[in-house]
Amino acid sequence: MLDAERLKILTESAKYDVSCSSSGSTRSNRKGGLGNASVGGICHSFTPDGRCVSLLKILMSNRCVYNCLYCPNRAEADVPRASASPEELCELVISFYKRNYIEGLFLSSAVDGSPDRTMEQMLETVIRLRKVYNFNGYIHLKGIPHADRLLMSRAAQYVDRMSYNVEFPSEHSLKLLAPQKSKESVLLPMRQLSIEKCAADSEKGKCRTRFLPAGQTTQMIVGASPEADGQILRLSEAMYRKFSLKRVYYSSYVPVVHHSLLPDTCTGLLREHRLYQADWLMRFYGFSAEEIAQENENLPVDLDPKCAWALKNMHLFPVEINKAPIEMLLRVPGIGTFGAYKILKARKFTNLCFEDLVKLRIVLKRARHFITCNGKFYGSENSVSVRNMLALQSKQEKYEQLSLFSEPQTADSVLTGQL
Amino acid sequence: MNIYITDGSPDGFFTAAFTACNDINCTVTSEQNFQIALNSQITEIKNDPVKSNRVRKKIAEYDPQALHDISILLLRGAGTKEMTALNYLRQIVKYKRPVRDMLAVPPIRIAMEERRKVTLEAHRFTGFLRFMESEGGIFYAPFSPDNDILELILPHFYRRFSNQPFVIHDVSRKKAALCNNGKSRIVPVDENAQVILHENEQCFQALWREYYQSVNIAQRPHEKQMKGYMPVRYWKFMPEKQQEKLFGHFRENDGLHPGK
Repeated sequence: MLDAERLKILTESAKYDVSCSSSGSTRSNRKGGLGNASVGGICHSFTPDGRCVSLLKILMSNRCVYNCLYCPNRAEADVPRASASPEELCELVISFYKRNYIEGLFLSSAVDGSPDRTMEQMLETVIRLRKVYNFNGYIHLKGIPHADRLLMSRAAQYVDRMSYNVEFPSEHSLKLLAPQKSKESVLLPMRQLSIEKCAADSEKGKCRTRFLPAGQTTQMIVGASPEADGQILRLSEAMYRKFSLKRVYYSSYVPVVHHSLLPDTCTGLLREHRLYQADWLMRFYGFSAEEIAQENENLPVDLDPKCAWALKNMHLFPVEINKAPIEMLLRVPGIGTFGAYKILKARKFTNLCFEDLVKLRIVLKRARHFITCNGKFYGSENSVSVRNMLALQSKQEKYEQLSLFSEPQTADSVLTGQL
Repeated sequence: MNIYITDGSPDGFFTAAFTACNDINCTVTSEQNFQIALNSQITEIKNDPVKSNRVRKKIAEYDPQALHDISILLLRGAGTKEMTALNYLRQIVKYKRPVRDMLAVPPIRIAMEERRKVTLEAHRFTGFLRFMESEGGIFYAPFSPDNDILELILPHFYRRFSNQPFVIHDVSRKKAALCNNGKSRIVPVDENAQVILHENEQCFQALWREYYQSVNIAQRPHEKQMKGYMPVRYWKFMPEKQQEKLFGHFRENDGLHPGK
């Protein structure tokens, strides 16, 4: 059984992986088996940093032969090391799962020995869980770059989701900061998996093999390298299109390691937040990276990306709430997907007026400047004044009486999710 | 003004609805300590299968899914649940068609919001419910939800732990679901259920607490968000939120309070 000390070391090394979603898989429980996957995903707990605990996020080992500059577990670092055997991990997963603590396993690892050896260990854990313990819960496996192709394909038949981390938005930065990894070692497996998944999904019949039912994701660090948001978004867009990824995770850089090639300051949550907003616009709101930001441009800080786009394209607004097509409703700042569908449903039966929108709980702080209800406009005509109004609202929140010892806070608006 | 008092069952509600549907200013309630107005006329409803089935049949004719909506509304743990359901039912009768998308009509919007509160809590508890292994290998999970969601969450756990005998105990409503080998039963259980735990149980709870503490990124505190997603009132039965190891012999009135 895994003891508390090793559990602590292996978890603390794994916690910076952002992904914790357990959605997208419909794996059902077999006779005599334990567990199933829930397609919408289930959060089992929330930690004081506000993140959800859905999967048991853990490393097989944090002994690493690689020396990526930004990583707390790099070969040269002086940190406590530990590893767990497949059997120990299986026991832990099963006993946590039976108590409904977790939704499944998120298994990652440092490169312990060689990439192939590491991947073999991870694969053994997964196969043991599925075959010996008859476990049908969710498993997310992190791919190890440079590991054998066949190991990867074999793992994909057992797990629900796999992910290879791109780490940096450009080849140049990757070479500089993670010298033992290469662009190919990450992108080729992703491409391979997406091709194989396509082939597996097009097979028909009952006995077709299950292949990554919840698809692939990836993660990159933002702010450790000089790439602009526009470039990052273009990379994400390309990966969504080419590899049909489910998610790209962005993690804002936190300096754990001091090095001349790395910045000494935190990137801040606001930039990460803006990137996620832009990412959502691309995936759910029909925006392209082109529309959101120029290639060498960062996202605006004082406005959310949708608002910024709308202010640049004032000739498209205001839109009539009772007539506008769904594509246009989704582009109104302040109206989200849920709001848009609520409006779509409700307006079938009656003409909506401004008060109805309030009752439907549509957030109108931004939206009122961009819509009309039954031809009536409730916002301000002038786009300059709208811009000032919306930007000012976010500034006002920042004013506070400073004491001599108070720390500057820039990320308040991230917390509230407003502008 | 008429007040109809039901026994709280769906049958009681539909029997009351038979008369109350057209009685515009009436109140239907199952609450015991209901504040009665001066000029009110109290009628106690006796369940009448003929009346309730007639209402059910008519509603199903207008909207086959509405009965499901109403059954969920009636699980709401608020005194106004019968009125919410009745007002929704009246709208279906008025329009003679499915009305759930007419969100600009207040009673329908309120009904949909209340329905969401029940299903949301049911979804939350598929994650927040915590089992403890008892000495005999039966997994026991106490919880006290705001709404009466025991039957709603049962199918989920039933599929997931088909091989594992388990008990889910709604402490505040004093009932429990017993599941074993594809059979399940709901029985009334006293709130002082005593469970003798398996010797390893403490050890797993301690490991889980250790994991919970390790996976948190302390440099990024955001307690408000945590409490928004996981309200404090649910913490009582979650081992990771209990500082001391208090699940030795579990008893309801042992003074289990959320840690801080």
